[in-house]
Amino acid sequence: MSPLLLVTALFGTSVMAGGTGAILGLGGGILLIPILTLFFGIDLHYAMGASIVSVIATSSGAAAAYLRTSLSNVRIGLFLVVATVSGALVGAALAGVVPPRLLQLLLGLALAYSTLTTLRQLRVELPEPTEADPLALRFGLEGAYYDAALDRDVKYRATRVRSGFGAMFGAGLLSGLLGIGSGAFKVLAMDHFMRLPMKVSTATSNFMIGITSAASAGIYFARGDIHPLVAAPVAVGVLVGAVFGTRLMARLRNTTIRKAFVPVLGWLAVSMILRGLGIGLP
Amino acid sequence: MSRPVAIERIIARILTFGGLFSIALVLGGLVVYAAAGHPQAREIVRVVHNREAGRAVDVFTSLGDVWRALAQRPPDPLAITALGLVCLLVTPVLGVAAAAVAFWRSGDRDYAAISGIVLAMLVLSFALAAAG
Repeated sequence: MSPLLLVTALFGTSVMAGGTGAILGLGGGILLIPILTLFFGIDLHYAMGASIVSVIATSSGAAAAYLRTSLSNVRIGLFLVVATVSGALVGAALAGVVPPRLLQLLLGLALAYSTLTTLRQLRVELPEPTEADPLALRFGLEGAYYDAALDRDVKYRATRVRSGFGAMFGAGLLSGLLGIGSGAFKVLAMDHFMRLPMKVSTATSNFMIGITSAASAGIYFARGDIHPLVAAPVAVGVLVGAVFGTRLMARLRNTTIRKAFVPVLGWLAVSMILRGLGIGLP
Repeated sequence: MSRPVAIERIIARILTFGGLFSIALVLGGLVVYAAAGHPQAREIVRVVHNREAGRAVDVFTSLGDVWRALAQRPPDPLAITALGLVCLLVTPVLGVAAAAVAFWRSGDRDYAAISGIVLAMLVLSFALAAAG
């Protein structure tokens, strides 16, 4: 492959990853790392370095747009980031102490269960109003946004805040222990436990993943995993893709986004179970 | 009490400006690198496929590395790209710092404290990374 073709192909792939990440609240690592390593044959460490850059680029591009349209909820995002970043710091400290394969297997089984429960909610456009959670009231974990697909304002309030906070700590712990991103887990915790609208969950996840990734970006940089020639076209492509993704997401229904999210969850569940069983995947 | 919309706009502006500024540096460095006919421009494919070959020449692992490469005459174009990537990595941290200040100024002490905690944890993680 010629250098120009390589850079162009990396850029094109990253536009796609950025668009998907912006809509689904993921960093894009789940798509980028296998593509960079399997199709482009790029060293895994550089692929992971480019992935962490892509998460922050997606977050910067998408969260800025979602914050302006009130789809990202800053309070919910910052409240939950405390759980994720502290979980990640504890996870990084425990790395090497806890057997990662057992964790991956347990995580994979939990994700498989979540995939099935999400399948049952496929037709749910907006969650039913529930009893107010005292923590949600105390910390103002609520908001409203204009839903372009429904053509009306949607008000929402978080529920089961303790469970959501615990799930976020777990997501951070696993990301610190296993070195994986946790965008999908964040969306799952907000959608499943806290019963936020799917769009708010993915948009708020977009705001959060930039912050949680920044916490580990320094480590990747210091290790020499961020290669300018790989990370640069990825960063530019992902940012462009994220801008297009945010425009598309505003017009999508919550049910459509959930339908697109299910295969990602299913893939994560399968890959985690396989890794837990010692069957290697990129 | 707080004015959430104003706070969200401030953070959005920082993320937008940080993202665009970083990408301008990243692209600028790449364009100069390609235009200068850098001796390694033809070897990008080899470099990205071989970690050790790339590490020796192109990969910056500290701000000091980037700074030294920028101080050369002429500056190393890939150092400009690396500086852009560093700015991108720092952008979310600036967003959290701005949120802490904005919440404090709007009188929302709870969220000023929460943003401050997040910021402290980010600084701790950077310190741990720098300590190796």
